[in-house]
Amino acid sequence: MSAAGTVRLTIDGIQVEVPKGTGLVEAALAAGIEIPVFCYEPRLGAPVGACRMCLCEITPGPPKPQAACTLQATDGMDVRTALTSAVAAEAQNATLEFILVNHPLDCPVCDKGGECPLQDLTFRYGPGNTRMTFPKRTFDKPIPISPLIALDRERCILCYRCTRFSEQVAEDGQLVAVNRGSQTQIATFEDEPYRAPFTGNVIELCPVGALTSTTYRFEARPWEIQDVPSVCGLCPVGCNVDVTTREGKVKRILSRNHPEVDQGWLCDKGRFAHQHLNADDRLSDPLLRVRRRGFEEISWERALDVAEQLLRGADGRIVTALSGSETVEQAYALAKLLRRGLSSHTAMLPEEVSDALDSFRVPLSAIADADVIAVLGDAPIVERAPIVELWVKQAKRNGARVVTSLDEIGEASDPILIWCGPGGGGGARLAALAESASAKGAFYLPETANARGVCDAWAAAADTEPANPDPIGLLIVSGDEAAANPDVRALAEQAERVLVISMFHGLAGGWADLVLPGTSYLERDGTYVNLEGRLQRLRRAVIPPAPDELVWISRLAERFDVAVSPYPSAVFAEVSPIAFGGIPFGVVGDLAELPPATEGHVPGQSRDMAVSEPSGLRLIRYRPLFSGPAVERTPELQFQRPLAEVEISRHDATDRRIRTGDDVTVSSNGTSVTLRARISDDLRAGVVRVADEHAGDLQPTVELST
Amino acid sequence: MANEVVFADAYERDLTKLAEYEATGGYAALAKARTMGPQAVIDEVSASELRGRGGAFFPTGRKWAFIPKPDQNPNPHYLVVNADESEPGSFKDNEIMARVPHRFIEGCLITAHAVEAKWVFVYIRGEYTRPYEVLVAALEELKGREDILDGVTIVLHRGAGAYICGEETALLESLEGKRGQPRTKPPFPAVEGLYRSPTVVNNVETMATIPPIIDIGGAEYAKLGVPDSRGTRVVSISGHVKRPGNYEIENGTSVRSLIYDLGGGITEDRELKAVIPGGSSTVILRYDEIDVGYDFNSLLALKTAMGSAGVVVLDDRCCMVQLGIRISEFYEHESCGKCTPCREGTRWMTQILRRLEAGDAEQHELDLLLDVCDRINGKCLCPLGETAAIAVASYVDKFRGEFQQHVDEGGCPFGESSPLHNVLAPVAMHTHSPVAVVPA
Amino acid sequence: MSELYTEVQRLKDSYPDWHSAMLPALRLAHEKHGYLSPDALRECADALGTTPAVCEAVASFYDMLHLKPIGRHMVEVCTNVSCALVGAQQVLERFEQELDISAGETTPDGEVTLRPIECLGGCGWATIVSVDHHYRTHVKPEDVSRIVQELRNGE
Ligand SMILES: Cc1cc2nc3c(=O)[nH]c(=O)nc-3n(C[C@H](O)[C@H](O)[C@H](O)COP(=O)(O)O)c2cc1C
Ligand code: SF4
Ligand code: FES
Repeated sequence: MSAAGTVRLTIDGIQVEVPKGTGLVEAALAAGIEIPVFCYEPRLGAPVGACRMCLCEITPGPPKPQAACTLQATDGMDVRTALTSAVAAEAQNATLEFILVNHPLDCPVCDKGGECPLQDLTFRYGPGNTRMTFPKRTFDKPIPISPLIALDRERCILCYRCTRFSEQVAEDGQLVAVNRGSQTQIATFEDEPYRAPFTGNVIELCPVGALTSTTYRFEARPWEIQDVPSVCGLCPVGCNVDVTTREGKVKRILSRNHPEVDQGWLCDKGRFAHQHLNADDRLSDPLLRVRRRGFEEISWERALDVAEQLLRGADGRIVTALSGSETVEQAYALAKLLRRGLSSHTAMLPEEVSDALDSFRVPLSAIADADVIAVLGDAPIVERAPIVELWVKQAKRNGARVVTSLDEIGEASDPILIWCGPGGGGGARLAALAESASAKGAFYLPETANARGVCDAWAAAADTEPANPDPIGLLIVSGDEAAANPDVRALAEQAERVLVISMFHGLAGGWADLVLPGTSYLERDGTYVNLEGRLQRLRRAVIPPAPDELVWISRLAERFDVAVSPYPSAVFAEVSPIAFGGIPFGVVGDLAELPPATEGHVPGQSRDMAVSEPSGLRLIRYRPLFSGPAVERTPELQFQRPLAEVEISRHDATDRRIRTGDDVTVSSNGTSVTLRARISDDLRAGVVRVADEHAGDLQPTVELST
Repeated sequence: MANEVVFADAYERDLTKLAEYEATGGYAALAKARTMGPQAVIDEVSASELRGRGGAFFPTGRKWAFIPKPDQNPNPHYLVVNADESEPGSFKDNEIMARVPHRFIEGCLITAHAVEAKWVFVYIRGEYTRPYEVLVAALEELKGREDILDGVTIVLHRGAGAYICGEETALLESLEGKRGQPRTKPPFPAVEGLYRSPTVVNNVETMATIPPIIDIGGAEYAKLGVPDSRGTRVVSISGHVKRPGNYEIENGTSVRSLIYDLGGGITEDRELKAVIPGGSSTVILRYDEIDVGYDFNSLLALKTAMGSAGVVVLDDRCCMVQLGIRISEFYEHESCGKCTPCREGTRWMTQILRRLEAGDAEQHELDLLLDVCDRINGKCLCPLGETAAIAVASYVDKFRGEFQQHVDEGGCPFGESSPLHNVLAPVAMHTHSPVAVVPA
Repeated sequence: MSELYTEVQRLKDSYPDWHSAMLPALRLAHEKHGYLSPDALRECADALGTTPAVCEAVASFYDMLHLKPIGRHMVEVCTNVSCALVGAQQVLERFEQELDISAGETTPDGEVTLRPIECLGGCGWATIVSVDHHYRTHVKPEDVSRIVQELRNGE
């Protein structure tokens, strides 16, 4: 007998002991044996046993080969794979023969070639020749199922991974199987594109070349590429990614499963927006304003001279607007230069994240096991931190209740709280709510990727209180998010001089005195802190067309006798003892760990902070996922931009007899816009949501009419 | 036909009428069962040795006993009745529902009582308009009869044309509003069935047999038939017989008697060539194999089965290759497309058979056909693909000479004189878009 | 529009889980639109609270649900073994001649669609022809012109 909680079984004669509930595929792995699979993918829900690749001889059981992927290890089980069982070998060979009967075998021109499970398994288990003498089934190919994804139906082996993802993970109901039997095929409705936040995952899930990325097609062969492990810098989740490069260019982005953070899923922004690196208006040389609206490209040497002049000329009256997308090292370097070298402490920081939340720190994966989840703040999670939405969906499938106010939590214990939206006070308020609800975990979803890291780095450089300079002598705008921020633009109106660090001409043109080219998260080495409080490592995948910010900040700092290293590792070594408990740079590994929750709760603000609800409906305007400088520069993502829709709670819609699809006029204070209604079950009564770009001049309180 | 159980009194009276049915003692068994308590009913059915009439022949009492007790699983229990009858050769449930709807409903209510279910779903094949209307009328008559319904809701759920939905887990998927693709087992429906709750799935005839069992007692019922195949069976006889139709027989009656006594012999007094004994999925019997009892054990000895009790009789004009094509095309058309061997293999089988019939096949393709059957058999997710392979392989096995003749003579020795010549099967037509381009 | 919507809500309520209303809802939409056109699928999806793609995925699995236009009348001839043995193919061919179309087609006036169908569960009463989903039994080639006449006369 085996120890409690484990079972002992034999696989090809090798004894293994595995935890109860372990699937046979995993149990075999524990014995060092591969059971080949196509349809099996535990992240897609219960096994379906469709492809029959995993057939093994198993006792006890019926006297025919069993689909190992559908079974769990039990005590005393005897599993024989193709290695030791002629029956299993014959069965797997048969499955491959059937799969290949209608497969086009166009491997030489297939993007999957060289990294294709079908090729690999055919090599290991398949028939060496074909006995099929009939014309193969042919389809029109490839057909675009969206601007991002091409479908080659001839290559499809009908493993249903893609449709199960659509149905059971993303729950978007867009990608389905139609028809029956050998006529079955993967399709979207009519000619409509597969339009949903997570579509690109099906490309990675597909075990053959049936679903390929339109942006990667024919771009590279697997032996010509390099994968660089890094993290995505486009939202506060910080999904772990592999950046595929060829000849110094980013060709695609793949997920790199971090089971606590992203489970191997990416949103389409993170996967496809890398094209912004090659945007037409990408800057590689510094620009100096010469006439009222004209710029001149100048050398870096000259640019540093001008920068030095601007810094000295401001006489300490400097304000820095940070993006929240800088690395910890960049933010610290800039802060050290400005704060220590120029005593300029004033900054417009991205949303600050409160330390009070640290005592409710749990990994994102904890959401999946919660019984109750309260989603507060009214902004749509998927638009801000998309992967969190997938965790919440998974929790729901596991039976969790998802509520939109604390009152609904009721007696349930250990709830998880998520704040997504304006008015969160950097999570301080959330921490207070978490305290009063005895929450097991709490997540504050900031708007930017490294808000927390940037704030911590800025704070680490000095602890002098900032003064508000008036008038502003120099406004430093660090990064594209800051440059695109209307509040920053307004501040620029009042500043005597403006220095902008930006990747794109389109963002900096017109209002800067000096523009220094910026870099992307794909071009940097350094660290980010995600919304869990997890410090993660960014690796430079490709060389930027301009020097890294850290390099020129270091040289500029020299001119002010401030020592800033141009190397991220050295900068981190300096900031880590102050802000990150002294963890060494090298230890921030590829699958970063979450620091433990802090002991003892910081007294937060009282729970009784309900904003007085105005009459009428409260409008939540949100920045949509598919927006911003990177998305704007990726043509294939344009179809994903938000529809002209207003999201209405079921309660409010029923009251007003509004149905999904109706045209609704949203009005406030004399202005109005007409939008298509969409009823949402995730929204609380009294609140409506509209993407920024469709909300026009609407005020925070609106009315609806049909 | 002296021992009619399912069809008792149905030829003398119009049992579709509630009053008539009650006049013959209808719904008395239900009342009796309700006085007995669930476990006693299960015991009684176990004592009758009744085995399911849907095809798999699983002991009914044992199946009911698998339902977990409320303290093991608090979810509600469901009874789902399989009225999807689509197996070529079978048309018994059609007539049972149309002729004795109340006996059928009474069986459902007794079963619901035994397994403590408050919902009964009758999944009735979409094409069955007439039986559906009869059941609607019968339920209409029962409205307000709480003495009979006792808080049980009976829902008639109409299918929409898919043979695979007769497979119990595919049926459950379909009933849950999905594509009718079978689930992997375990978990079995008794543990995790409809809406992931404990569910009993039973055939129409099984249900209609329950009231007489409760009425006369399990032991009495078990006196009918032969060991391992107790009671009666409604057999559907069709094809080349003079008097096709449904006949309720005592299990163990000889196949010869089914064909020559009940069926009246071969049409035009031709020679018998073969009999499909239990619907299209069963191993075929040759003309010289019919002196066998129509019961589980006797047929098992010949590696075949009663299946869904569809007896199809073929005369000496029939070409076995053509039969193979027609059967293979049926399964190709009805394959749900979920598992590889069934989806790809049935299509491949048809292709090879077509070459054989056209006289284009080479010697090795005959073996290839058997090998493809072999590679399907035992590898599929559900029995659909396997039965296709077993059935077709049995035609080759039992009529090898005829298949060989197709190869040797470069064509079909029967040609147009065989009634199965050039029959147009639905699979040859693609009705849904987008459509595969299949090269000629 | 709203009629189907209301009817579908009633269907959803008649099951412990609304998903079960899928097939009945599709049948309703089919009846109303004549076939499951893209618009019919959209309407059905809205009423059920799912996507048109999911409705199409389900509908296209079943033989009785048509995603392409069909005639006002449907003639289906069972050509499975039992019916074929007693002459179903000849009945089908007679329908082709009588209607002047091939199996699988619809008459140019949009009146009648003809198709072969798998076993209809009436093997003992072969040949079975299902006319607008009502079975005609023991159909012989010589009965075909009368059936077509009845259809043409709108009976
Ligand atoms: C492909 C396939 C089709 C089937 N079709 C039917 C059917 O039409 N009617 C039926 O009662 N059982 C059918 N069955 C058997 C059912 O899966 C199941 O065993 C039966 O409904 C159980 O009822 P019983 O125990 O009362 O026989 C089919 C099985 C398979 C594999
Ligand atoms: S497209 Fe790819 S993932 Fe989808 S069913 Fe086909 S092979 Fe599987
Ligand atoms: S991997 Fe087991 S059936 Fe596909």
